[in-house]
Amino acid sequence: MSAENQWLLRVRNLTKIYGEPGLRTLELTGPQVNSNICPETESIVACAGVSFDLYPGEVLGIVGESGSGKSTVVKLLYFDLEKTAGSAWLAPYEEGRANILEASGQQKRRIRNHLMGMVYQNPREGLNFGFSSGGNIAEKLIMAGQMHVGGIRERASYLLEKTEIPVRRMDDTPGTFSGGMQQRVQIAKAIANNPPLLFLDEVTTGLDVSVQAKVLDLIRELQQELGIAMIVVSHDLSVIRMLTDRTLVMKNGRIVEAGLTDQILQDPQHAYTQLLVSSLL
Amino acid sequence: MNIIEVNNLSKTFDLHILHEKHITALQHIDMTIGEGEIVGLTGKSGSGKSSLMKCLHRTYLATGGEILYQSLGGVVDLVSADDHAVIALRRSEIRYCSQFLSVIPRVSAIDVVAEPLFRTEKDKELARARSKALLEALGLPSGLWDAYPVTFSGGEQQRVNVARAIIARPRLLLIDEPTASLDAKTKDTVIELIRELKGHGTAVLCISHDEYTLERLADRRLHLQAGRIISNVTQVI
Repeated sequence: MSAENQWLLRVRNLTKIYGEPGLRTLELTGPQVNSNICPETESIVACAGVSFDLYPGEVLGIVGESGSGKSTVVKLLYFDLEKTAGSAWLAPYEEGRANILEASGQQKRRIRNHLMGMVYQNPREGLNFGFSSGGNIAEKLIMAGQMHVGGIRERASYLLEKTEIPVRRMDDTPGTFSGGMQQRVQIAKAIANNPPLLFLDEVTTGLDVSVQAKVLDLIRELQQELGIAMIVVSHDLSVIRMLTDRTLVMKNGRIVEAGLTDQILQDPQHAYTQLLVSSLL
Repeated sequence: MNIIEVNNLSKTFDLHILHEKHITALQHIDMTIGEGEIVGLTGKSGSGKSSLMKCLHRTYLATGGEILYQSLGGVVDLVSADDHAVIALRRSEIRYCSQFLSVIPRVSAIDVVAEPLFRTEKDKELARARSKALLEALGLPSGLWDAYPVTFSGGEQQRVNVARAIIARPRLLLIDEPTASLDAKTKDTVIELIRELKGHGTAVLCISHDEYTLERLADRRLHLQAGRIISNVTQVI
């Protein structure tokens, strides 16, 4: 049952600090003092010491309040932010032997274009509102090395169909779409290159419940059909319960608890998780 | 061969948000479940039946002791096994069927039942056909097969729940009150279906208050009182 080398993504000691940390910054911040601001240096510990393994096809949830560092984790892994410390290995990149966080800018773009997808809370971060919805998908495909125009158009219409966007609206810009539709175009774009790994950062926050349901159903369907491994960041435990197998609970930039999602929800160990679960409506 | 061997298992809840209140749910639990054996778990509400079952499923983290599970790949201690190993076992060998159906919304009854098969059975239509056959055997009206179980009555949900639990023929089945809220005829069907699993070597732990079900189903009973096993009755069938 040894499963030591089955991971798709391995993360160790991932840390992001804003400002100049002192020697005692990590000691003086965290859930035990309920703060991520170092009292000596005023540097801010967005996340620290984050370690986990993600398996192929696994859906991992990261839950926590605003400022807990959960979005920082995925933004570091997607290279939107520069790490302060830590390592991450991705099995399909250099056979999992090279720390992707130390890769060159060009290599990082390659990893991002070929091996990852990202869906942001705000569609404006993930979509180019100057391009049509089809154009947005084409952009991702071209960056992933797809050059054949007919092939691109075909793939774009397939993805729009999959995400239930009327194909006849392929040439309209996302600005003319509803919030839920924008989110679905963003998902179509994120999975356009068939990545083994998808990051979802608060993707249903701010949507109506019925629209939220549609987006969640889409994510679940894609996961089942394509077997994409996902990291789902959400403050919403119902989203976590519905989508994930395993959950990390973060507070003040640290992981305070990790476990099977049903265990986290029914037998939470850490005081903060107990509070979180008991606050569930 | 024992599929499950529990040694000195204990479970305490430490409720930090209720002024560090401690609740002891289970103490000094020793038990086994053999291959092809059905163990009935009895006891009053609050005696720890569901807690024990949830510890076996790792929905609850045991506080002490060990739960040795004889998996196809070797012995695994479900108390200390890493999460990925438990996820893998839940996908292929261990199934927990709670008293109440809790499923993903907006999925039809057929797919809720077929879902455990989808992982191994690539042909989705074949999986759905087996799902239909089970739902038919359990007497769920065919008009409901495409509907969402959230809106079903208690008895209808229970049928879906049982069908989902047994469709993939788990090696270990943890089933909580499988016959509650069922009519006599369906009750017999459920009993028959579980006995059929037993015939395939499935080890079953079954919580029930229903004497009729226990008599026909359980090879042996364990009685829990205040978190301890107080008797270990072997019944000859």
